[in-house]
Amino acid sequence: MAEEKIVLKGRKVIGGVAEGEALVSKRPLMGWGSVKVKEGMVVERNHPLYEVPFKGKVLVFTEPRGSGGFVGYGRTKLFGTNPAAFLYRRGNNLTVFAAMNMEVPTVTDFDRDPTEVIETGDVVRVDGDRGIVEVFKKKK
Amino acid sequence: MEFLVAYGEVAGAEKLIEIDGTVDMHPGTFWVDKYTISLEEIEELANRGEKFKAATFANKCVAPGFIHDGWEDCGTMPDCAPGYREKCMAPLKPWIKMGMIPTFSCDSYLVASYLPSLGQTCAWVESSAIPYVNAVLGARSNFDGCFQTAYLGKVPAYDLHLDENRIATVLVECTADLKRDMDYDLFGWAVGEAVGMDVPAFVGVGKPTTSQYLKLNSALATGGQVYMYHIPGVTPEAPTLDAAFRGRKPQKTITIGRDEMRRVYEMLNYGASDDIDFVYLGCPFYTIVDLQKAAGLLDGKKCKSPVWMATNPLTYKAAVDMGLKEIIHNAGGRLISGACCGLLDGEMPAGSKVIATDAAKQDYYITGVVYPKKLQVRYGTMEDCIQAAISGKWKGEWR
Repeated sequence: MAEEKIVLKGRKVIGGVAEGEALVSKRPLMGWGSVKVKEGMVVERNHPLYEVPFKGKVLVFTEPRGSGGFVGYGRTKLFGTNPAAFLYRRGNNLTVFAAMNMEVPTVTDFDRDPTEVIETGDVVRVDGDRGIVEVFKKKK
Repeated sequence: MEFLVAYGEVAGAEKLIEIDGTVDMHPGTFWVDKYTISLEEIEELANRGEKFKAATFANKCVAPGFIHDGWEDCGTMPDCAPGYREKCMAPLKPWIKMGMIPTFSCDSYLVASYLPSLGQTCAWVESSAIPYVNAVLGARSNFDGCFQTAYLGKVPAYDLHLDENRIATVLVECTADLKRDMDYDLFGWAVGEAVGMDVPAFVGVGKPTTSQYLKLNSALATGGQVYMYHIPGVTPEAPTLDAAFRGRKPQKTITIGRDEMRRVYEMLNYGASDDIDFVYLGCPFYTIVDLQKAAGLLDGKKCKSPVWMATNPLTYKAAVDMGLKEIIHNAGGRLISGACCGLLDGEMPAGSKVIATDAAKQDYYITGVVYPKKLQVRYGTMEDCIQAAISGKWKGEWR
């Protein structure tokens, strides 16, 4: 049986191509103290992704919230703990600055909510330049 | 210029526009590492007599944060070390020479003595400041103040610089009677969580005081990402409810009341013990009126737990002149300026395991800042916190 494939179309933020396993947050991500740059993980208390490493993952989330320290997600690049790609439903200057530091394929403003379509563990191929995201659903 | 063009392109801005308002920036830091301008280059610019084009104010320092006043007896390292402050200040000198006004405050707009007017273009930073500049002042800013925006006097025109993105989309009906400053903290957080990045219009929230705006704004942009809102009849872009929505219908209507606020309160206030090791107040930095009130509560008392109260350097001087610092110190408290525990990488009196604060923002971030150390945080009103400092015990509860 062929794998189920879903294609999402969005807007390019940062170009390039990447593929990896998805790590999905249906809650907003928060920076400053709530992201550990060297370890590459969220340490926001009460967050579903608490202490879950995002290194090498296609990090999919709804929106940013909180401090300008959100840029910390981008600074994970300095320590090699950064995600392989960065996908979000809706962004603003905080996601822009994080993406400019991270320099991995980044797409937003999709035709559908990526946090509804993509589940943690799905394999995701991101074409940042074309704003195309192919989702290969994990076998159930 | 390279940075502003790249930033504008990534953000999807069509053009750069002139800043005719003000800039508020974190001194010494840059948004994107590869566009960092070295200290040597900035010194050269400063020595050539180059100036920032826009009126530019210093927000607090974030890399590193350091205590500007009151470090001598804060009792914690590295801030207490002689010479540390000078070492931190040295790289900021050329920024000041270029025209940056050394307000060094997360709420620098409160002491700037120079504010943007309605409709002016700005480039500011800081969770509590962005809703202040947009909603309260009616000037226009994204969260992007920095060396480049100040030096070139330009900013990419997108998001809150465009009329369309300033119109309310969500109607928030407040059913609680917002009286205490804490009520605005809890209401703001609940709204932020509910609306995320949308622009809400509030009905039933009264007329917030300056202290209440600080709470409301910092919570809106911590619990959520609200950069713009309207209070019909109060904030300048919404003389009426209809004007807030530009005659359109709200995309959704939500109600926030005591139940929602209590849920936030319970999330912020937790601890296995009622013993309080340390009390932190002043997030965002306390105003002179907050300091007056806090000093009044401490007057003639002796604290069992250490308490820090933070303000900006200019208000610190006023507090010294007014004798407020003396009252706070006589009670065993400490007045500091220019930094908070969060900015100081969790620097606080040794052995603090259970702390108390009156700020949702500090409460929520501090546990991540001190990670992997564990911290329990009690949350309540200024009165609850000062009572805890005096008695060493937490007695605050939902009221």
